[in-house]
Amino acid sequence: MYKLLLGWRYLKTRYLALVCVISVMLGVATLIVVNGVMAGFQTKLRDRLHGVLADITVEGLEFEGFHNPEAQMARIAASPVGKYVAVMSPTIESPAMLQYQFRGATITKMVKLIGVDAQSRAAIGGFSEYLQDNDGKPRPASFELSDAAKFRLDAFRAPTPPAPLEGLPTGPGEPPAPDNWIHEEKKITGAILGHGLAHFRQPKPDGSSVEVYTAEPGDIVTIVCPGGGKLTPEFDRFAVAGYFRSEMSEYDCGLVFVPFDHLQRLRGMQDRATAIQIKLTDYSKARLVVAELKNIFSPHLYAVQTWEDKQGPVLAAIEIERGILNVLLFLIVGVAGFGILAVFSMIVVEKTRDIGILKALGASNAGVLGIFLGYGLLLGTVGDVLGTGLGLTITSYLNEIEAFLSSLSGQHVFNRQVYNFATIPVDIRVSNVVWVNIGAIAVAAAFSLIPAFKAARMQPVRALRFE
Amino acid sequence: MLEAINLHKSYRRDAVSVSVLRGVDLAVREGEFLSVIGASGSGKSTLLHLLGALDTPDTGEVRFEGRRVDTLPARDRERLRNQSVGFVFQFYHLLPELTALENVLMPAMISRGILRWLGTRGAVRKQAMDLLDRVGLSHRLHHRPRELSGGELQRASIARALIMNPKVLLADEPTGNLDEGTGAGILTLLRGLHSDGLTIVMVTHNLELTLSTDRVVRLAAGRVETPSNPSLRLLSPAC
Repeated sequence: MYKLLLGWRYLKTRYLALVCVISVMLGVATLIVVNGVMAGFQTKLRDRLHGVLADITVEGLEFEGFHNPEAQMARIAASPVGKYVAVMSPTIESPAMLQYQFRGATITKMVKLIGVDAQSRAAIGGFSEYLQDNDGKPRPASFELSDAAKFRLDAFRAPTPPAPLEGLPTGPGEPPAPDNWIHEEKKITGAILGHGLAHFRQPKPDGSSVEVYTAEPGDIVTIVCPGGGKLTPEFDRFAVAGYFRSEMSEYDCGLVFVPFDHLQRLRGMQDRATAIQIKLTDYSKARLVVAELKNIFSPHLYAVQTWEDKQGPVLAAIEIERGILNVLLFLIVGVAGFGILAVFSMIVVEKTRDIGILKALGASNAGVLGIFLGYGLLLGTVGDVLGTGLGLTITSYLNEIEAFLSSLSGQHVFNRQVYNFATIPVDIRVSNVVWVNIGAIAVAAAFSLIPAFKAARMQPVRALRFE
Repeated sequence: MLEAINLHKSYRRDAVSVSVLRGVDLAVREGEFLSVIGASGSGKSTLLHLLGALDTPDTGEVRFEGRRVDTLPARDRERLRNQSVGFVFQFYHLLPELTALENVLMPAMISRGILRWLGTRGAVRKQAMDLLDRVGLSHRLHHRPRELSGGELQRASIARALIMNPKVLLADEPTGNLDEGTGAGILTLLRGLHSDGLTIVMVTHNLELTLSTDRVVRLAAGRVETPSNPSLRLLSPAC
């Protein structure tokens, strides 16, 4: 009892010890805030990565993909793990070049062209949720042009198609010239462009910025991609139907979606696909399903992966980054520990005579050790509680604090253009907070051990005579 | 009751060994009020520390109620200091963070675990308040040491020494830091305790204080000597 009483009294009367409390508090608060923000980024990134990708993807490893996707999907459905499959959708993916006119300039970008069946791909998830018009409103999972887009297309469509790009094969025995092939089409097919491909942010004199669309719904874009078999360039013109905005710049600045059957024809891949996207009824069965599908599909011809396998390096990098950051930030608590060591050593010297008194009154070495160890634990606990409170308060008002700091400094502390997040994401995990608290208390106790041992081993007579 | 047999004790200062006690023999009878006098540095306080198991002799024996205590394990020596011996120091040695009442309660807290303390807290607290009342500090229960006068500090220190009902009280110059009047008050208090049957060993260099004690011994050259000063009529042999 006397250990608690003295520890508490020392805490209340030794203002020097407040330095230790504040050090622990700041360390704990920093760890909680950084962990919360890192976990927030991680969760958001995982959500977005998973949001865009199907639970499982079966990809053909050959350039021309694989034959008869319907039959392959039937094999999956008939397999023992078919009961875990909710929806399947075939896709064709191909590298491509996108070109369009903006204010008289020709803009050309490297893109990933994806042919999807809009309805089944929407059922897979991670597609229709991210479709929007240029006013930001959601649009249906379809390549149909809106009335406004049709009007713009009719009003501004060039009377003559653009000249074929230089270097395109037009000789005898080669595929038909793209412009001839286009002229056979009675209507222009819609394409959904990644949001980042069709707009940019223009800074204003007042420091703010405005979004400028370079390709609006109804505008014509030209896409050139390799043919499905002989690497011959194929091209077609599409009308912008809408945008894909997942807030993942990797996708928003690189993906173009077109109808699956249209891309099949464009690339000469009739009745072929490059991948099958699979949505599961229960993602916890993903490993089981992948193992079974690897038995069905030869690993020499197909790659069967979960979305986590596909994004493994990214997810692992984030996890490693978070781990390293935690270790580095925990050094703050380590520094607080050295503060405790220094302050405690001073307090033990200051309390030498008190230690002698306690021993004269019958206190044991363990009892004296307990006083200073308890004192250290008390400091750590108080610092922990205050630090946890401070950390949770900061994370709760992180965006408001960021706005305040931005207004003070005149610069954005958190640049939304870089991360494509409207707010700073925060994800407070109870387990993280608990581990940070346990770690900080352990450090406080560990660093108070040496002075506590020194106090415990004092000779009572020498301590009583200490001046 | 308390016996020192051929005690030797030396201290090492830097590289020099200073011999303080060189064969002290002393016996304290139960219920006796014994004064130990001697010049500064004669080893009075060292003798008191050895008798109270605060320190161990280089050679020799300390016996308490017939049992040798200087070779006891640390745990038993701690229990002896806590339950059988009461210490009163010249500089009071109260814990500055605690009130007078809490200081008096401290030995009782040390002797008990939390649960036992919580179970007996009321009774022990009442005993401590009675003791403080007896030493005239009932109005200073919740005052910190810095708020008390020298006399009050020593009274609180005596109350603390009595809380565990010790068999012997070892007082190291209890009036050495007090004025004459206050010192006399403390001595009256000690005499009262002695008349209640408490064994007291008091170290002092104030000869007048020894007049009211049962027996006086003098330490000189590290040994107990028979006093030669005729004015100290009560000085008597060590045993």
